[in-house]
Amino acid sequence: MAVVSKRPIVIGLEVHIQLNTDTKLFCSCSTDYIGHTPNSNTCPICLAVPGTLPLLNDCAVELGSRMGLGLHGEIQRYSNFHRKNYFYPDLAKAYQITQYGLTISDGGYLDIESEGKPRRVRIHHLHLEEDAGKLVHPTADGRLTGAAYSLVDYNRGGVPLSEIVSEPDMSSPAEARDYVIRLRQLARYLDVSDGEMESGSLRVDANISLTNPDGSLGTRVEIKNMNSLKSLERALEYEISRQNKVLDSGGRIIQETRLWDDAEEVTRSMRNKETASDYRYYPEMDLAPIVITDDQIEAFKRSMPELPWEKRERFEKSFGLAYEEIAILTERKELARYYEDTVEAGAPPARAANWVRMEVLRALNELGQDITDCKVKPSALAELVKKVESKEISSTIGKEVLDVLARENITLEDAIKRTGASVGRITSESLDALIDKILGGNPDVVDTIKSGQDKKGGKLKFLQGLIMKESKGQADPREASETLAKKLEGLC
Amino acid sequence: MKMTVDREVTLRMARAAQLRIEPDQVDYMMNSINDILDFCALVGDLDCAGTPDFSWKMKKLPDRRPDIAHDWSDRDEFKSSAPAIDGDFFRVPKINAEE
Ligand SMILES: [Zn+2]
Repeated sequence: MAVVSKRPIVIGLEVHIQLNTDTKLFCSCSTDYIGHTPNSNTCPICLAVPGTLPLLNDCAVELGSRMGLGLHGEIQRYSNFHRKNYFYPDLAKAYQITQYGLTISDGGYLDIESEGKPRRVRIHHLHLEEDAGKLVHPTADGRLTGAAYSLVDYNRGGVPLSEIVSEPDMSSPAEARDYVIRLRQLARYLDVSDGEMESGSLRVDANISLTNPDGSLGTRVEIKNMNSLKSLERALEYEISRQNKVLDSGGRIIQETRLWDDAEEVTRSMRNKETASDYRYYPEMDLAPIVITDDQIEAFKRSMPELPWEKRERFEKSFGLAYEEIAILTERKELARYYEDTVEAGAPPARAANWVRMEVLRALNELGQDITDCKVKPSALAELVKKVESKEISSTIGKEVLDVLARENITLEDAIKRTGASVGRITSESLDALIDKILGGNPDVVDTIKSGQDKKGGKLKFLQGLIMKESKGQADPREASETLAKKLEGLC
Repeated sequence: MKMTVDREVTLRMARAAQLRIEPDQVDYMMNSINDILDFCALVGDLDCAGTPDFSWKMKKLPDRRPDIAHDWSDRDEFKSSAPAIDGDFFRVPKINAEE
């Protein structure tokens, strides 16, 4: 939805991505916490027992660097950690260990397309930090205010995050959404994170302001608590209209943090907002600085897989596909791999693209499956596409065969037999005879068409359907409808 | 140099820390903070001139660790020493701020 705002919109995003490590950022506790007993993934380090010392997870450094490189950032040879102090018991230490000032990756950009237009979003930096635990509020109605105390689960506390801070380069909610989609795709391509917003692996905070009439930046409002792409867009749209209304009525925008309420679809001012000076950032003396050598950076670069935009370019060159097709096929690297395997197994690239995009994705969608669960092997799909190409079986039957293959672990030949189709196309003579039989068996339908009452073409479609059904899909749809039309004309 | 806090500063600190303290707790907290400040003053007054650096010989420890999970076995014992627990959760003071 396009948003109307007479004042230009300026949006910057802070995206937290949970890094795909086995253990937490500073201790050896498992990061696999979802659905686990509260506080079962904890140890003296993440519970802040006095005398314990954090020790940095090597893998988090590598994943953070990889993401930084994917964003064209400059990996820093030297960075360090800071303590961010705040009074909230979701971290046992009463401070969060984060990077501040000297961060692991500096600068960079991400190219996105939004509503058909390309846009470059500059990245300010990427830094590493630990996640906080989760507070549970034990009142019956789930509201905080009635509770005499809160409960805390530290399983998530200490899980590694990379925070990616963009420059304020986005000018609409749609662009913000497309930026997050592109960022998530990059994280998945790099195996840095699963990027699931629903499970909290990817979290977005937005900064939004409306530009003043003199062109200077307006007052910035931060929005938190958006846990889907849809709520990100809705929250920004709401905020744009709220700020415009405030300014139209002569009011002023207050610099503040607002929380998105998904149920009420409003943003609400958040009290007790700390500012950077309240956080009393200071260097974390319990941790050595992160030193990354040139050799390590070279090794990270060498281990980078093909990136989404590189894959898109290659698909365009090698397979000559249309932009929209490529966008769908390369959305996830697993799907791109599947498509390439199908082509490698002998399917013509354009046909294979169509089948993967339309039929395989449809079948998976119907079964609620992911491409990684797909029972149709690329080699089987390639054979199937070739059979349809050579008109050995019709495309209608081909789709049925695909559905059978998607549900059961059987061979292509068995699946073809299962659909009841004898392999081979129906001859023109048998098609002729079949149509005569159908017309003869449905005189009332024929009469309706002849008398011109079949205005919407429903009766005609009915006859076409009968032909495909009676021929067990072996009739060529175009030939069938042409023959049918001719015969009907002859009857008129 | 010795510092002290009065009731007003104590209340301000509590507000900054988002702690609600009842009127009859203010003196107790003020005195506790002043005890800590007294101790700091005591340390500050020590004459450390000529004291050698505190150091010991040890191998340089690694500054990063491999990403291998270890479970910690003494969790129950630790939990039993926590000030307040509720099932598997730790109980913490009520938070006045909205999350
Ligand atoms: Zn731990």
